[in-house]
Amino acid sequence: MSSREDILQSIRRATHVKYERPDLKPLEDMALTYPGKVEQFYLIMKQVGGEAVLLEKEEDVNDFIKKAYPEAKRIASNLKSITCATFNPDDVEDPAELNGTDLAVIDGKIGVAENGAVWIEQDVKQRAIYFIAEKLVILLDKNKIVNNMHEAYKLIDTGGYGFGTFISGPSKTADIEQALVMGAHGARDVMVVLI
Amino acid sequence: MSTKHSKAAAEFLKNKKQAAWHDETLWLVRAKRDRLSKEVPEWEELRDMACATKLYSNSHLDELLVEFENNARANGAHVYWAKDADEYCNIVYNILNQHGVKHFIKSKSMLAEECELNPFLENKGIEVVESDLGERILQLMHLKPSHIVLPAIHIKREQVGELFEKEMGTEKGNFDPTYLTHAARKSLRQKFIHAEAAMTGANFAVASTGEIVVCTNEGNADMGTSQPKLQIAAFGMEKIVPDRESLGVFTRLLARSATGQPITTYTSHYRKPREGGEFHIIIVDNGRSKILADQKHIRTLNCIRCGACMNTCPVYRRSGGYSYTYFIPGPIGINLGMLKAPLHYHDNVSACSLCYSCSFVCPAKVDLAEQIYLWRQDLDKLGKADRMKKVMSGGMKYMMNRPSVFNMALKWAPLANGMPRFLIYNGLNDWGKGREMPKFSKESFNEMWKKGKVK
Repeated sequence: MSSREDILQSIRRATHVKYERPDLKPLEDMALTYPGKVEQFYLIMKQVGGEAVLLEKEEDVNDFIKKAYPEAKRIASNLKSITCATFNPDDVEDPAELNGTDLAVIDGKIGVAENGAVWIEQDVKQRAIYFIAEKLVILLDKNKIVNNMHEAYKLIDTGGYGFGTFISGPSKTADIEQALVMGAHGARDVMVVLI
Repeated sequence: MSTKHSKAAAEFLKNKKQAAWHDETLWLVRAKRDRLSKEVPEWEELRDMACATKLYSNSHLDELLVEFENNARANGAHVYWAKDADEYCNIVYNILNQHGVKHFIKSKSMLAEECELNPFLENKGIEVVESDLGERILQLMHLKPSHIVLPAIHIKREQVGELFEKEMGTEKGNFDPTYLTHAARKSLRQKFIHAEAAMTGANFAVASTGEIVVCTNEGNADMGTSQPKLQIAAFGMEKIVPDRESLGVFTRLLARSATGQPITTYTSHYRKPREGGEFHIIIVDNGRSKILADQKHIRTLNCIRCGACMNTCPVYRRSGGYSYTYFIPGPIGINLGMLKAPLHYHDNVSACSLCYSCSFVCPAKVDLAEQIYLWRQDLDKLGKADRMKKVMSGGMKYMMNRPSVFNMALKWAPLANGMPRFLIYNGLNDWGKGREMPKFSKESFNEMWKKGKVK
């Protein structure tokens, strides 16, 4: 008999009590909400080591990025609106070539007010760009900020590439004596630009 | 009267400064967890739902695992089933071998620790690199984790500095955590790029979508799985959750409980193989189906490996992860060890003051202390009860059943107050080790009551 059948049989033999599936609705209805989701999002982004800024109506996003990251030489983006990008990561065959990217500008789908997480649904050929770039700018529609993870999970999708990730601030570690350090492996700096 | 745990704890406590640092640092993590949990008014309801969801999924494992398998296959992943550690290790090896992999990069997986995957692969000539910073430090030191979330919590920055100077050529005497972390970032970046395969564990496996969810702060799981095209993920079968809605519950609890963060930096959902790549998923039993049949201990399968029970445990904080004989320390480790092999790991059940703090902080409501208490009742049956304690409880029973003997003993007890220290504080009296004994009162409550002194 295969291990699969063996395991399934031992599970069935061992399961004596079947517990019912709980109804999450009451919890979801009572879950934390915020009177000002955008304001809470600013606060929490600071708390997780990142930053959120609102793009002024008359301001061009490319001007804003150039001003915020004057030292960035290799800027990756496959977004049409990002003309300040120096290359399109989709033109790169080997993800290793993305190493040394100073800044990546990417699209966020959903922001979560309770924890600063932004849902990224893979829309680039090499998802490595989300993690390998030194700094990350995430563009997010300010109307797409939800209160909590219950709301977020109802809206997310992993899309055609079959990958997505919530990113909440910069990569970090405290593995040496619990001292917090930004930039363990992923982006050292994360800014969410609300549009 | 000494268990292996208490002997090892005594060793740990010899370095007073380090022991005090360990205790205080973990307590700070616990305090952060408290602060974050109190920001969520529905915290207790969340814990209830996490517990109920786990009890549901672990009692419907046959259906949910098959649903997961079907969905994962439809997504283009390969799915394997491993009965035990040996089968799991061999499946991983065969995948690597078929692809000619010589350089393999891993993100932290307690399952890999449980099954001793690294030595197995290294014996077969594969270079295995741990990519979580704490795990990497320990790997280079040839040490094991002492905590499931903060694996290198027992290592000092000076030790890391000296290690990195040797391994990565960092500056002599530079022990700055930022400097050292960034040196590791640079060194591991090359390992990521040159690896031919990457592996992760799983925090959650979602039945309805066939996807694997991995939570990290460092981004190491994502760096690994976005470079080489061959990806392996393995999970113990209790990691299954029915759907994404249930992740709403668990992702709100996990990081708040573990490190006092509102969520981990990355919560990644791996559903399909990368373009031109392969995705292999291994479902592992390794003793879990046996636990399912044990109603008294079934809730250990609720555990989401956040480590909150360790951070809060007064014994863990003051004895360190290495004082436990099972590879997972702290309250959850005591229980998992007993479920694995009671005759082998019974020493750990003494590492508990029955304060129940672990049961109160557990986000999935594992009844940790209650279960340790149950295991203690079984020690005599296992032939592992402490002889001295048995003699003492025999004596106590004799005395308690005979009021005249009891009263006589009480009457003479204050004599102990005036005894020379060496008669009280010696090797025979464990209660006198590391603490002062209380003084016996001159008058017992009984006598005071009879004289009408108790109002």
